[in-house]
Amino acid sequence: MPDPTSSASDMRRSGGRLIATGIFAVAALLVIGAVVMFWALPDANAFNARVERIFIENDTLTSASEIKLLEILAQSGTAFSDTLTNYRVLIGVLLIFAAAMLVAAVVFLMLLITFNRRMAQIERTGIQVSSLLISREENKVYLNNMGFSLTAAAMETLAVLAEARMDDEIMTGSEIEGVISGRSAADCDEAAGATRIKRLRDTLGNQMVSELLVKNIARRGYMLAIDKDVIKVL
Amino acid sequence: MGLGGPAHAAECYADYKAKQDNPLRLQYGVAQISGQCSKAAAQRQLQQRLGAQGWTLLNVVSVFGPEGLAQRRDSAGSNFLRF
Repeated sequence: MPDPTSSASDMRRSGGRLIATGIFAVAALLVIGAVVMFWALPDANAFNARVERIFIENDTLTSASEIKLLEILAQSGTAFSDTLTNYRVLIGVLLIFAAAMLVAAVVFLMLLITFNRRMAQIERTGIQVSSLLISREENKVYLNNMGFSLTAAAMETLAVLAEARMDDEIMTGSEIEGVISGRSAADCDEAAGATRIKRLRDTLGNQMVSELLVKNIARRGYMLAIDKDVIKVL
Repeated sequence: MGLGGPAHAAECYADYKAKQDNPLRLQYGVAQISGQCSKAAAQRQLQQRLGAQGWTLLNVVSVFGPEGLAQRRDSAGSNFLRF
């Protein structure tokens, strides 16, 4: 018998279904509202029918002028019902706008919540590389617009790795050494490639930590570049 | 047959109310009725005559003889013995 399980992706899926149901419910409520509104407003003939009943029920309302008055009454009622029809259209349009706004608001709220959650995740994982720009002329690499200068050798290693990544390839140390030195990979030493990687990590890591964590303020000294609230000592 | 008095009169008239729709127009008129002098007969005849002119009969107010014509002439106006 399988255990009843619940995972994060399950919750997200059910959350999505909940949002869809909610939006559908809002739309359905507004449609019901519109139907009730259109159905409840009196139609043009209601006024005419009322005037007609007055005419039938009162046998004294027979003179020409009185009949004329009754007709005018009916006409003004009809004019009023025309106005009501205009209002109805207006209210309908506003209702549609309101529905669209409401649905958009719900959708944006949900997006905002999702983005906040993703933001928190990114903050926890540390650095998220969204752009890597290699500038061979200046011997510099830009990670998320933070520039780090590298030695020519480290630059070469990084360029080889970037090229391999674009082709979705994984390279061994001897392959890296082979590409850089121009010999065949079989003749190259695995340790030589590993050394290149280690040097690249050292220079890049050192600069990244000094940029992100241990800052050097000129002529004053060193300081951790973090919020003091996040520091906890166990 | 004797009910209503004027059933045997040679001349029989009825006053009625009619309407036209879109826009609503109302009419009070007096018309001569042939044959039996009763509200039912007047209703039948007037429905036909008014319907031919595009009017709808609402009701027949009363039937009367020639002695009742004078008092209704003013009210009926142009619809006095029109149909």
